[in-house]
Amino acid sequence: MFEQRFHFMHQNSFFHILISLIAGIYFGFIAAIIACLLTETSLGEFIDNIKSPEILSSIIISLETSIAVVILALIFGIPVAYLLATRRFTGRIILDTLIDLPIISPPLVCGLAILIAFGGHGLFSHFDVIFTIKGIIIAQLFVASPFLIRSARIAFESIDQDILTAARTLGASEFYTFRKVSLPLARNGIISGIIMTWARALGEFGATAMVAGCIPYKTETMTIGIYMHALSGNLDASVALSLLLIVSAFATLIVFKYLGRYNDPIK
Amino acid sequence: MIQLNDICKSFKETEVLRSLNLNVKKGEMFVLLGSSGCGKTTTLSIIAGLIREDRGDIYVDGSRINDVPPHKRGIGFVFQNYALFPHLNVYENVEFSLKARHKQKNNRNEVKRALELVGLDGFDNKNPMKLSGGEQQRVALARALVTEPECILMDEPLSNLDAMVRERLRYEMKQLQKDVGLTTIYVTHDQVEAMMLGDRIAVLNNGQTEEVGTPEKIFYKPQREFVARFIGMKNIFNGKITTLDEEGGVMQISTENFELTTVLIPSGEGTHVKACVRPEEIILMKSDQKTSARNEIAGRIITIFPNGPLMRVLVDVGGDEISVDITRLATRDLELKKGDKVILKFKATSVHVIM
Repeated sequence: MFEQRFHFMHQNSFFHILISLIAGIYFGFIAAIIACLLTETSLGEFIDNIKSPEILSSIIISLETSIAVVILALIFGIPVAYLLATRRFTGRIILDTLIDLPIISPPLVCGLAILIAFGGHGLFSHFDVIFTIKGIIIAQLFVASPFLIRSARIAFESIDQDILTAARTLGASEFYTFRKVSLPLARNGIISGIIMTWARALGEFGATAMVAGCIPYKTETMTIGIYMHALSGNLDASVALSLLLIVSAFATLIVFKYLGRYNDPIK
Repeated sequence: MIQLNDICKSFKETEVLRSLNLNVKKGEMFVLLGSSGCGKTTTLSIIAGLIREDRGDIYVDGSRINDVPPHKRGIGFVFQNYALFPHLNVYENVEFSLKARHKQKNNRNEVKRALELVGLDGFDNKNPMKLSGGEQQRVALARALVTEPECILMDEPLSNLDAMVRERLRYEMKQLQKDVGLTTIYVTHDQVEAMMLGDRIAVLNNGQTEEVGTPEKIFYKPQREFVARFIGMKNIFNGKITTLDEEGGVMQISTENFELTTVLIPSGEGTHVKACVRPEEIILMKSDQKTSARNEIAGRIITIFPNGPLMRVLVDVGGDEISVDITRLATRDLELKKGDKVILKFKATSVHVIM
């Protein structure tokens, strides 16, 4: 079952048995929880639930907003990531920390901050975003875009400096080098950033709920739907939405890992 | 053609270049030779515009290029690690600079010609990462050549290759450079490479040029003690000129432990000099035999060890050590061993004097 990397790692050693055991417990725990969700419903029930207008609407809202978030995150995130990866300037550490902040802070706190900024007497109060789709997008972007920026930055930073230098000595401007060398070489990191950002946006709950509320057919995303249906006793609808999220996440990750392994330009 | 005037560069506290001056002529292969950390690579980077100098001027064909950005300098660069674009095939790698300069016409012919020049025709669609080190460096060379640069800079381009490939590519590069008549600045720490490739060599030390000259001059008649030591002149002794024999065309130098006869050079009695003898110029014998050599020193063998294809014999001559290189066969025939008394002989012309 285990393919050994080095011949001196003995499979019958105490240590090997120990780590296998711990890993077994860990994966068993996760698999059991997912299995519980899977066995909670039948395929027929699942399809019936998904076809209900409110759930369909929440799926559409989730897809629309998360895709918008990915596009916006790309437009802002790629230049930011490139800037942080290639420039050394004072205050860089502050910017870097600012990007990590939404990853670390509770989404509720992010949501509250957005609510204050855009609501009542906030700095951006003349933008009408509270309880709207725009509010969902802003909340998701705030929480999810750092994943793309981090991933892209690491990808840009890991490009061999000599390759970029070579491009410059070959007569390429920095912009040309960015388009023709940096971007293609950072491709895998950017794609993985897109997937993480998209998944995070799709799964966003706390900040979205704070900013956009839970209005069916208007601001009810899939995750908010799961929460609302569970609260109102319609557990079947929650289960159906949860299954849809988990299965699509699993499928996306598998596809990405497969692509990443066989499409790596360096290998 | 390329001229560096008083170039200074420091990284934080460390002074890397201290008022460096160079003058490279059109069409020559100019070698920067020095140990690691002497500022060779920094010098290349400054010429290419990749690093900004703190002080000094850079001229190409008489015009100052300090403020020209790297992609407009028209200077090619070949890296030690090849720095090929891993996401492009061989053809696209070479074509890169033509596209970057928006030269769309006749790309195909120019790329083909460059690849032919380095002996890689037919490699167009190959993935450069799957080529051998030697082939990768050829791609890098073609990529730099295709732009027809004013000058090409090479930063230890052969040092990651194994000895056989290195030797062949070194020879081919020299031929190519001569055929194309390309001004080249070549950085290396390898003396053999410098000697084989260079039309002229500059020995760098501590961010300054110690000496510039032809390989012949640098290797056989260095004017600086540092250069003499760097190129492996093992036997260097402090001495004083005692007698000048104008008629005989020779002079006597007295060192702490022995006397030397050398070819006369214009100087005065009592001048302090350094006398150098290359290890391979010395004849080692066990019993005194008549030769025409003017210098003769007796000593005792300290140790014998292999030194490349030759054997190096360390001989104690009354407190000083003299290194002698002889063939393996000679070591065996003479039955040399530690402690043997030997006589060292060499000609007056074999002694090089540094004033």
